[in-house]
Amino acid sequence: MEFFEPRINGDTALFWEGCRAHELRFSRCKDCGKVRWPGAYLCPSCLSSEAETAVLPPEGTLYSYVIMDKPFHPSVQDKVPYVVAAVDLAENVRILANILEYDPETLRCGAPVSIAFADSENYSRPIARLKGAAK
Amino acid sequence: MDTSELKNQIAIVGVGYTPQGKLPGRTAVSFHTEAIRNALADAGVEKEQVDAMFLYRHFDPLAGDYDTTAFTVAEQLGIRPSVVGQEKYCTRDWLFNSIGLLASGLCRYVVISYGDNARSGRRSFVKELSGGKATDDLAAFGDLSTMAKYAMQARRAMDVFGTGPEVWKEIAIAQRQWACLNPIASMYGKPLDDAGYYASALVAEPLRLLDATPSSDGGRAIVMTTVDRAKALGRPFAVLRGFGSANQPVSPFRLRVEDTDSAAKLASTQAFRMAGITCKDVDACELYDCFTYTVEATLRDYGFLEGSSPGEFITRTRIGPGGELPVNTSGGMLSEGYFMGLTPVAEAVMQLTGRCGQRQLGVLPGTRAPSVIVCSDNGAVFQSHVTLVLERGA
Repeated sequence: MEFFEPRINGDTALFWEGCRAHELRFSRCKDCGKVRWPGAYLCPSCLSSEAETAVLPPEGTLYSYVIMDKPFHPSVQDKVPYVVAAVDLAENVRILANILEYDPETLRCGAPVSIAFADSENYSRPIARLKGAAK
Repeated sequence: MDTSELKNQIAIVGVGYTPQGKLPGRTAVSFHTEAIRNALADAGVEKEQVDAMFLYRHFDPLAGDYDTTAFTVAEQLGIRPSVVGQEKYCTRDWLFNSIGLLASGLCRYVVISYGDNARSGRRSFVKELSGGKATDDLAAFGDLSTMAKYAMQARRAMDVFGTGPEVWKEIAIAQRQWACLNPIASMYGKPLDDAGYYASALVAEPLRLLDATPSSDGGRAIVMTTVDRAKALGRPFAVLRGFGSANQPVSPFRLRVEDTDSAAKLASTQAFRMAGITCKDVDACELYDCFTYTVEATLRDYGFLEGSSPGEFITRTRIGPGGELPVNTSGGMLSEGYFMGLTPVAEAVMQLTGRCGQRQLGVLPGTRAPSVIVCSDNGAVFQSHVTLVLERGA
């Protein structure tokens, strides 16, 4: 299953190519060491344009989530309900992910998750798996 | 930033309404022009005196409309303002732009207007897609609609602040009670109870359909000038005792409900300090309410909840008709009509100038005539915010 192929550009390619390779790749500022996210040419902290690739560990905590009940586009009609989640990774990086398996009664903000990847024809995207939950 | 010299110097002198609801066949431009004509007539200002005009939002045209631009609206009003502007990104720059032009003397009369045929044109609020293609990264996760962004913050607030549908229901019901006192409100004559709220469909959980503002056709406009000119016009007006403006330009999924420097917090802190007031001095609030949760977040960021849980503070008894803190007395965008920030601002001016009929504070039993009304205008997803502290001018 996939949603909509992201528009990949000079700022976002590192992240999406990382997803294709099942890695959480970000650019790290070579001057101040901060991770740039969302992807950007300059470091929003020190405005340096020097960067190297950082790979963050595939785990984090669930900041929040939405259960999408209504299809906001005809092509997601057969996908609802689905869950869009915001996951806090290391180094102050928060990404979006989908949660595919969950119990709506016990799902809570702050839950620890691990990140896996879902491959579809045109792109791969992060999936958050609740730790300790039955697979 | 020291704004003390601008305290009580800027006025809102006119409010313009149009028919509203479902009005097929009307263009968005026609709502702008009708609202501006009526606002100028309300103020007693000639159209030739308008030297700045700001339109709320550049939306994609609907229902056979041509593109709605500030030039088209000026052309159809037969005016040549020195300054025209139109927001594309849902920011709330109109307030500081207007104040700057008036206080500097560059302009004498500024109009701000909203117009749209969103309801009959079925405007989609899914900006993540264009022609079925992603316009940003969010669509890759099915994160579609503005509502989903607010829902994500609302869900976090449930676990952090102990809020939830039982609180948002109070907002929806209280505003519906106000709307039932306002004959032009879209929900006039349509009361809402607990069962009706809970029966409303879940759309982007935790938010339901009745947590979201419905779209409307229609327009609204205001006229601003200096207090000296307002006095010369000789009609009742509202004066800006305080104001503030702030942006928090981060992607919506990176917002944190725990932030103590949200745009609403910064803008309201400026405005309250300038006005020399605290929450205790506020007689009523007219708050931007794209969603019920937005009202809660604004009250929280402004400091009204200090020491109370959301459920303790936000009750229909407190914020509804006859309550100690009236909120969104026209019904707000949720139950009166969606004219973006001009829904709250117009109602504040009407209340301060005593033109609200049976819902008029000070006339409605259990209420007092307002001397200080606080307004908010919120843009994008909590990313842009202005606060106004309004008083009756004299």
